[in-house]
Amino acid sequence: MRPYLAIIRDSFHAALSSRVLWIAFVAIWVVLASLAPIGYQEDLTAEFRGARDLENRSRLQALLAQASSDPELSDTAVGRLAAAMPENVAEDLANVSAGGDAKLRTSQYADALNQCLDDESWYDKEAWESTLRLAELRQLDEVPDGDLDESRRRRRARLRIEAAMPGVFATRSMKSISLTYAGLEFPAAFAVDKTRFVGIINQLVVPIIINWLLGFILIFLGILVTASMIPDMLQPGSLHLLLSKPVSRSMLLISKFIGGCAFVFLCVVQLVLGLYLVAGLRLDIWNVRLLWCIPVSVFLFSVFYSVSVLAGMRWRSPILAIGVTTMFGGICFVVGIVGGVFDGFVTGPARIQAMAVAGDVTIASTQGSGLIRFDKSSNQWVEIFGSDAISMDRVLHPVVVDQNTVVTARTKVGRMNPFGSGAADLLVLSAGNDWEPEPSLRLPPATIRLYRAADSLLALSTSDLNQTEISGVLAAAGEQTDEEGDQKAAEAQEGVGGLLGSLSSMLGIAPSGFTSVLPRGMAIASPRSVVVSSTGNELYIMSRSQLLRFERPANDQPWGQTAEYGLEGDSSLTGVIAIEGSVLLVSRAEQPIELFDSETLKPFAQLPLSDRLLPTSAEGIGEGRFMLLTSDGRCRVISPENNGEKSNGAKSYLLKGKVGPSNVEAITYDARQNLVYVAHHTDSVDILDAGDFSNQSDIRPSLGVWRRVDKYLVGPLRFVIPQTGELGENIGSIVSGKSAIIFNAPSGEERIERYDILRPVFSCSLFIAIMLLINCVYFGTRDY
Amino acid sequence: MNSIPVSDAPIVHVDNVAKCYGKWSLRGTRRVHALKGISLEAAAGEVFGLLGPNGAGKTTLIKVLLGVVSPTSGKAALFGQPAGTKLARSRIGYLPETLRVDRHHSARSALRFYGRLSNMSRQEIEKRSDELLELVGLRGRDREPLKRFSKGMNQRLGLAQALIHDPDLLVLDEPTDGLDPVGRSEVRKVIERLSAAGKTIFLNSHILQEVEVVCTRVAILANGEIRGSGTIADLAGNEDNDAVLLDVCFNDEAAAKQFIEESSVGHPALCLSFDPKGSPRGTHRLFGKVEDQHSVDQIVDLVRASGVSIKSLDIKRPSLEDTFMKLVGIETEEGSGS
Repeated sequence: MRPYLAIIRDSFHAALSSRVLWIAFVAIWVVLASLAPIGYQEDLTAEFRGARDLENRSRLQALLAQASSDPELSDTAVGRLAAAMPENVAEDLANVSAGGDAKLRTSQYADALNQCLDDESWYDKEAWESTLRLAELRQLDEVPDGDLDESRRRRRARLRIEAAMPGVFATRSMKSISLTYAGLEFPAAFAVDKTRFVGIINQLVVPIIINWLLGFILIFLGILVTASMIPDMLQPGSLHLLLSKPVSRSMLLISKFIGGCAFVFLCVVQLVLGLYLVAGLRLDIWNVRLLWCIPVSVFLFSVFYSVSVLAGMRWRSPILAIGVTTMFGGICFVVGIVGGVFDGFVTGPARIQAMAVAGDVTIASTQGSGLIRFDKSSNQWVEIFGSDAISMDRVLHPVVVDQNTVVTARTKVGRMNPFGSGAADLLVLSAGNDWEPEPSLRLPPATIRLYRAADSLLALSTSDLNQTEISGVLAAAGEQTDEEGDQKAAEAQEGVGGLLGSLSSMLGIAPSGFTSVLPRGMAIASPRSVVVSSTGNELYIMSRSQLLRFERPANDQPWGQTAEYGLEGDSSLTGVIAIEGSVLLVSRAEQPIELFDSETLKPFAQLPLSDRLLPTSAEGIGEGRFMLLTSDGRCRVISPENNGEKSNGAKSYLLKGKVGPSNVEAITYDARQNLVYVAHHTDSVDILDAGDFSNQSDIRPSLGVWRRVDKYLVGPLRFVIPQTGELGENIGSIVSGKSAIIFNAPSGEERIERYDILRPVFSCSLFIAIMLLINCVYFGTRDY
Repeated sequence: MNSIPVSDAPIVHVDNVAKCYGKWSLRGTRRVHALKGISLEAAAGEVFGLLGPNGAGKTTLIKVLLGVVSPTSGKAALFGQPAGTKLARSRIGYLPETLRVDRHHSARSALRFYGRLSNMSRQEIEKRSDELLELVGLRGRDREPLKRFSKGMNQRLGLAQALIHDPDLLVLDEPTDGLDPVGRSEVRKVIERLSAAGKTIFLNSHILQEVEVVCTRVAILANGEIRGSGTIADLAGNEDNDAVLLDVCFNDEAAAKQFIEESSVGHPALCLSFDPKGSPRGTHRLFGKVEDQHSVDQIVDLVRASGVSIKSLDIKRPSLEDTFMKLVGIETEEGSGS
């Protein structure tokens, strides 16, 4: 190997003697020097930041308007806050109370609340005792005012305001990060804790810097500098001398190829090490995974360099090598864009988001806000609502109410109005009506999920959980025509009219037959998750980091809370919950899977889950087992050990390996048939036996024209032409150590976008291997 | 390092090697026959010169020996191994006509690089580098960047790199090209020294005098064919005998002409002739063909017997250039005739 190592080493020396390299070095040092003064400060979150914090503005306005107009509420917490509002807000609230529209912007309401943080004259201990206070607020309330510094005092004021108006505010971390530059504060602060801040830096900021600096500028610069290496080597006085030495031609070329990567390597090492040190020293983010960017960037460069080498060998001209490589880069870019367009407009919207199995019929909602039903005779998904890539609508996950009926809803939302202040009608789809949607009861405003609980239908909104009787829902849709049904429909449709009705709607109070499940004054805050037991008589809610258990009452009263448990970790962590028998499963991001006794909510087991996996869905699948869908698109099974009990009597569970297909979109369990429906690869479905996960049947729908184009043209093109863009994007995954990124869709829903690391790595590796083979054969067989 | 071969087998063995290049263009593929069935051999310790005009196929033959191009037909072997194999190449030192070494190197780092390409250890390289830098006269300038080197210095470095791994066969392509007379002389001395040390040298040069001085055997290549090969004496002997040139002092031209007429009758084998135009002032130049010393003595006796003084006498033998021009010229005429 000595001769080849000598060639590689010589290439490094050649690179170091390049003026362009030193110019690049200086540019890198300038970039690093400009980033070095960046720092951060961590403080308690107090200030309200416009629409980001005021998640439900309509409810805020309604609460304040109602409190300001109703003298009976003047001594309540919200009443005191309403009285403390500045003049312009008070006028706006008066206008709302009178039935008019609010004129002030969300930011103005936020400003008004921020004024309240400075002047706490509105606070009254007695009034706030009846509010649902978080543990943090209770602790702060016990501290004498004199012992609180300004930061903690403002934090307490914010928590008091949040307690006074539940369901209005988005959940924010206890601490906020604010960036500084050379000791000066940036105008905007991030209302995230350190963990989320690290996530943002790793998943967004660093990948952007790396992508632009390494993925584009340095690679292009590298191609410019190294394009002459092969033509230079092919000069007679150089090549003949090299070939007269006892070296293999192929190895000589490969050594030159590796040596050619030296330029990019030397630049990348400096930049990445510099970023690593800046992030570590200035932001306390010592992320060793950042160093993975070095081999990834060199790998990315080698894709382009393999083309440059072939062009350089063929034409012996650096200019042509640069031209051909640039054209190749353009082709990669265009194919990447076409692939992205097909992902965004063809396959993305068609991805199954949730399924409902009613008898033999499978109905699914899609990511493009569509609702589809599988028609066996035509082997196609029949659209009930079409999927649309840029839809602002939200189709609620379909829920089976009986073997012939499914309910869902379609909410019109807008970017400025997430979750919609306006309400939507429940839609009933039944076999008798050929699965055509029939409007039924009006849903409570901002409903985001439906659940079936025995004879009741639960509607989860951004702040509340309401219930109605299924028979009423069916009756309103015309499914029940008997006298009782008419009566229920009439009762259900009987809303609260007039001014009060308007305010009720804004408050999220259901006017049409829904009653709140929660005790008065309680709201469900995000991140939220709800699950109903198989009997429908127990209800489990995860709100922020609180785990609550409710039982169905005998009468129409709100459900009674029977147990509560405070989950550890940051309250803003998203997660999923599932119930199976007497076990409740909770899985949250970056936390181990936790198992609780469903009666007492006492934790009894924890199972480690890799930090790179985010839980996206969980289902109880019988026999005390759970199926967990994670962000890598794979299903994992959590099941009791053989005897299910440890020697000390405690239950013992195991997290088993992956089961079922890859690229899973959604799972649902059909208890009646003991089958697990696993939607994968956009809209295919595997139907697995819940016992042994053997494939019982599957759905492989016929594809439409564009889907065929995607499968048979765009897909192979993306396979053949290396997806360098995707490889660059995957830096986010590598740096953050996550398998997916969470973002908000236009409809306001939180979506998980999986990083597909394997495909670009595979296609790029294959491409490099093929190009090197061609290069070696060409170089090895040609006369010079 | 590699040992010097002890067997009598030829170091370079070229057997009926032909090379045909196909040049593709829109008008069709044009075939160029660079070598047309060449055969030659160079034995151990020989300094073998390869001569020929531009386009004769010398460089192609060297490329075949180095394994840079594959022959279309025939076989070439070095040290009994097919030309181009790693084993064969490990025993060759090659100096290209125009050496291109990356500009970031110094003489010492370049020797280090080429030494490593020949699989030498660091210690071996350092030891040999010192010796060779001294040998080629680059000692003291071995750490300067090559961009400061003149063409002659580059050529010396090329020679050093060709010798770094102490090869048994040295293939030198125009080794004195770009060197000043002193440099040329030094290179010649190096070649003679290497030859004395038993190394085989395959020299490609267009400087005929140089080849004449250092080569033990030569091959003259023209239009892809060997037109003549052997020792310089062999080549010259095949074509002409030596000639004797005398400048003598006759009374006048008429006396000189009379002397020629009389001697041509009495001694026709001497082929004496008179060149009135080429005679230096005050003398008369005579030419005669000589086969041996006796012929020379006879001519001197004849002149002296006629009573005239001999101002100068010179024995003129045919040079390699004469032979070269003759072989290449005949070939050219034949080629044009066909």
